[in-house]
Amino acid sequence: MFNFLPMPATIVDIRQLTDKERLFTIRLDNDRGIRHRPCQFILISLLGIGEAPISISSPPVDSGRTFELCIRAVGNLTNAMHRLSVNDRIGIRGPFGNGFPVERIEGKDILIVAGGLGLAPLRSLIKYVLQERGRYGRVILLIGTKRPGDILFKEEVLKWEEDPAIETHITVDVAEPSWQRHVGVITGLFKHVGIDPFKTIAAIVGPPVMYRFVIKELLAKGIFEGNIYLDLERRMRCGIGKCGHCQINGIYLCQNGPVLSYLEARKLQEAL
Amino acid sequence: MDVTIQSNDVDRFIRGLLLYYDVIAPVARDGRFVFERIDDPSMASLKYDTTLLPPIKWIYPNNEILLEFDLKDITKTEVVAQSRKQVLTFVHPCDINAINLMDEVLAEEPSDVNYLTRRQSTLIIGYECLGPCRENILCFDKGYHIAYRGFDLFFTDIGGRYYVHVATDAGRAMVEGDGIFKKAAYDDWKDLMRARAERKKGFNKKAVEGDIGMLSHFLKEAYNADEIWEAEGRKCLSCGACIIVCPTCYCFDAVDEVCPDMEKGVRYRRWDGCQLRGFCKVAGGENFRKSAAERVRHRVFKKEVYLKKRFGRSGCVGCGRCIDSCIAKISIIDIFNRVMERARRNV
Repeated sequence: MFNFLPMPATIVDIRQLTDKERLFTIRLDNDRGIRHRPCQFILISLLGIGEAPISISSPPVDSGRTFELCIRAVGNLTNAMHRLSVNDRIGIRGPFGNGFPVERIEGKDILIVAGGLGLAPLRSLIKYVLQERGRYGRVILLIGTKRPGDILFKEEVLKWEEDPAIETHITVDVAEPSWQRHVGVITGLFKHVGIDPFKTIAAIVGPPVMYRFVIKELLAKGIFEGNIYLDLERRMRCGIGKCGHCQINGIYLCQNGPVLSYLEARKLQEAL
Repeated sequence: MDVTIQSNDVDRFIRGLLLYYDVIAPVARDGRFVFERIDDPSMASLKYDTTLLPPIKWIYPNNEILLEFDLKDITKTEVVAQSRKQVLTFVHPCDINAINLMDEVLAEEPSDVNYLTRRQSTLIIGYECLGPCRENILCFDKGYHIAYRGFDLFFTDIGGRYYVHVATDAGRAMVEGDGIFKKAAYDDWKDLMRARAERKKGFNKKAVEGDIGMLSHFLKEAYNADEIWEAEGRKCLSCGACIIVCPTCYCFDAVDEVCPDMEKGVRYRRWDGCQLRGFCKVAGGENFRKSAAERVRHRVFKKEVYLKKRFGRSGCVGCGRCIDSCIAKISIIDIFNRVMERARRNV
């Protein structure tokens, strides 16, 4: 039987990523660590305030007992989270959801499409794939944000740009004069990358409006519907497939998602 | 082994129950009925139509505390899952069938500890419907006017006395001992059969025209039938009355409340539901079910398509509470009929 007891944890590090986002490093009191798969999420519990679902940004095998959460201050709980400091105590429930099928896609080329805050969950996949680099073919990363200042994990992204292990392309909606990279919507980046549609697995996370356009582009390139994976965000509340907030037609995203292939998602009218 | 009880002995039976259990019974209130905890047998009404709220709310109560916490020390957080021993008495088959379905839904892993704890300390005494209890019900269409399981005892009025089907050991324990109940004899059983034959005559009018077994299929075909959903959406005030009174609605929100001393607090479960505007709204501002039309459609689909697909039977037990409670006069019977009508037209 399941109860709602959060696991006690401590904030061990906080880094300001942009104006609105901070990266929190969390350590659980227990010695097990969080033991997640890329693109799973947890529920942060602040006693007296409530709970909110947050994707795990760090890869599964990183630094043992800690994991990282990239949090934008946008709601009650996330704003409260931004008021906390190192050594403050929080509660964690999870991890929840299915996560990304990293075993199934071994040997394939991976095309990762990250719009805005979508890079937060995808970073766990990117770092996992880079750690297990030998198991995968090409790794292509497309990043789109509003402005250059909004790019998450900037130092890492700059490092990825230099890294031959990963082909990184970045675009912004609104550029500044000093901006040397692409300008425009994320689908504009597709003309710069040649892909083998029979070998490529796509992973997409971004704002709701982005999915349809990116999927259209990928289908046009000939990628099979079952090889396009979407990590969908909803208002996950309980994590046990009961409370109803994350329901998309007949499925509960907190249990059967958040990662769905387009083959599954296109049958759900409410998904996209 | 089944037993009988004289009608005027029921009070004595309830008085006996009151010694051991919280007794929840239908009680008359302002021309309608409610399931309430009683402390005197005279409060209970055996003859009642549909109650305002379904009895399952005693197993899945609003504002149920899930956690107790200490704001200064998170390790002192404690799970609260407890229940008093209670008997839900004279529950109609529709509501028993609803509880049966919720038993499956909430026991599906990961199961809900608070529901299961209360369920395990709840006994249920059913009460047979020998005819429709009011207008605007569709239990008969669904076959939910009969309950085959999900009770410890089951009362049927056979004229001056009740035939009591003893279904479980806990039920047997309730009828043994004090000599109120008599072993059911052949004549009692014949009267039961006669009453059930009358039931067949009582339930004779279907609310939904056509083959209800096809409803789920026809609904799926009508997913984009704007003439139904947009029309109902325009009427809907998104007040959420229908989901609060529904015996198979279980959506909830978890809310924290802090004691004014700023030291202790609780996290509790509050009923929530898909008809309310903000139900699918996320912190970023996006609302994944923006229009009332989409929300009305989701309610109907949840009952008739999604629950049916997952648990093998419809989530609408036909009690009609959502119809009675809707101030905008949205009727699920009417919606079903229009879906069936649309299917007939499109053949």
